[in-house]
Amino acid sequence: MSNVIEARGLTKRYGRHTAVDAIDLQIPAGRIVGLIGPNGAGKTSALKAILGLTNFEGELTVLGKDPSRDRAALMEDVCFIADVAVLPRWIRVWQLLEFTENIHPRFSREKFHEYLKFTKITLDHKVKQLSKGMVAQLHLAIVMAIDVKLLVLDEPTLGLDILYRKQFYTNLLNDYFDEQRSIIITTHQVEEVEHILSDLIFIQDGRIALDCTMEVVQERYVELMVSPDAAEAARALKPLFERVLFGRHIFLYENADRAQLKELGELHTPSVADLFVATMTEGAS
Amino acid sequence: MKRLMALIKREYWENKGAFRTTPLIIGGIYIVVFLMGIFTFGYFDNEFHTLKEALRALIEHTDASQRAFGVEIGLMFNSFFFSLVLAFVVFFYLLGSLYDDRKDRSILWWKSLPTSDMLTITSKLLSAMFVVPLIFFAVYVATTVVIWLIGSIVVLVLGENPWTLFLGVANPFKPLGLLLASYLAMAIWALPLYGWLMFVSAIAPRIPLLFALVPPAVFAVLQIWIDFLRTFTLKTNLGGLMWNWLANSPLIMSASGHNGEIGASLGIPITDDFDHAATLGNMLDRLFSTDMLAGLALAAVFLSAALWLRRRATDS
Repeated sequence: MSNVIEARGLTKRYGRHTAVDAIDLQIPAGRIVGLIGPNGAGKTSALKAILGLTNFEGELTVLGKDPSRDRAALMEDVCFIADVAVLPRWIRVWQLLEFTENIHPRFSREKFHEYLKFTKITLDHKVKQLSKGMVAQLHLAIVMAIDVKLLVLDEPTLGLDILYRKQFYTNLLNDYFDEQRSIIITTHQVEEVEHILSDLIFIQDGRIALDCTMEVVQERYVELMVSPDAAEAARALKPLFERVLFGRHIFLYENADRAQLKELGELHTPSVADLFVATMTEGAS
Repeated sequence: MKRLMALIKREYWENKGAFRTTPLIIGGIYIVVFLMGIFTFGYFDNEFHTLKEALRALIEHTDASQRAFGVEIGLMFNSFFFSLVLAFVVFFYLLGSLYDDRKDRSILWWKSLPTSDMLTITSKLLSAMFVVPLIFFAVYVATTVVIWLIGSIVVLVLGENPWTLFLGVANPFKPLGLLLASYLAMAIWALPLYGWLMFVSAIAPRIPLLFALVPPAVFAVLQIWIDFLRTFTLKTNLGGLMWNWLANSPLIMSASGHNGEIGASLGIPITDDFDHAATLGNMLDRLFSTDMLAGLALAAVFLSAALWLRRRATDS
């Protein structure tokens, strides 16, 4: 199957400021991609271009369509949560349900009720009566009940408690995800998603700093933990990044000789968060 | 079609207060005022002449055709407050139609659904043109039925026959049909204004009311000033144009003399561009005029601009 998203030289400018700077992107079907970057890196601008919410320069096709021209048709196969606080405040849950059912050909009322069961939300609630977390639950229940090929989640769990967040990602992986679908997630809580991601994209200052699968991440990067006396030797092997934790020095290496490192101390697979910090610090210097 | 209906229903849900509750309140006020009138009359029975005497005098001094005329003109003209409030409701509805969801950012939700911006704008325009006027009209008819019922009971209690007095003398469907036609004709006549309001609603960064009123007002004042420096040519002035647009509108707004007879009038009968008598022909006259053609062209420009803006609109 061809790529779900193909971008070549995708650029988004706001006046003189370039939010997205000529990025190339290929996302195949059946992947869960984490789009990670600091605030203002261009994540949201890139997502808005992909969702047809803004115009852009360069080439971009999503499921074979041009999102800036065919947004309506595209939205039959794409669903997104751009921000959890955007459900209209005046609407009642039953109205939202009826409306979505009439508008979206791939919405399932049964599935919606299934997900709603886990919450305290009733059909007669108005959105404005719900807490922020409940609004997020409602929005997620709708989105999960829509059978689409691409799901874009921009900070989907903002305002949710940890129990529901865990539940949500479990549902996403077990009930929702399959080979035909792709999911793009941006979040600041990287630790919570890293175990479900299949691909990782780091974005910094409108450019892609890293784009690879999680397997490649595990092959390419390794973390070494040494006691202070071995730090000098470890530093000589040109680590990407160094930090100190409880008096132990931790070094991050890219494409290093593991046998050589192993002599100095313990080896670990780096967490996405640590890799992110290392990549961003390196990119900034 | 199913999507368009869902979108129109959505507009109704969001604006239930303005679309449904408002006309119901006006209807309620009509009924209360009518009841108060009867009670007031009853209260002064002993000092003044009684309601019964007044009724008998009415029957003696008028014949059926005169009363039929009164019923017809009353049915059309009593709608005045409904029409007035309807105009305000539609005005503010359109002003918020493409602005409110940008302000509360729910546009991101609406745009995540497979409906085109074209269909969204169509649903909002159709709501303003037809849904709201039809609701107001229906509530007005219902209010009239209630008032006639109360009136009939009062007349019966006083020992007279309501059927020969007013119920049976005129065909109520003719004036009511004319009123409905006038609402629908006005929806088309008002398209340039509706287009302008939707355009402002789509473009205003904040306080759309200001953006709707200030630019045309400044433009009109400048024009008047420049015209004043040269000659007095008020008709081509934007203010004059708007005044003519209102005076020539096909909405039943007043009652006045036409061809020696008093009748309901379309618009304000001070211009002589069109015949102001409330007839279907005179409404069609306006809709098939060159003025209307120019208005439609203007509406098309505003609505296309609104669509262009809506396509690019997000939360920021």
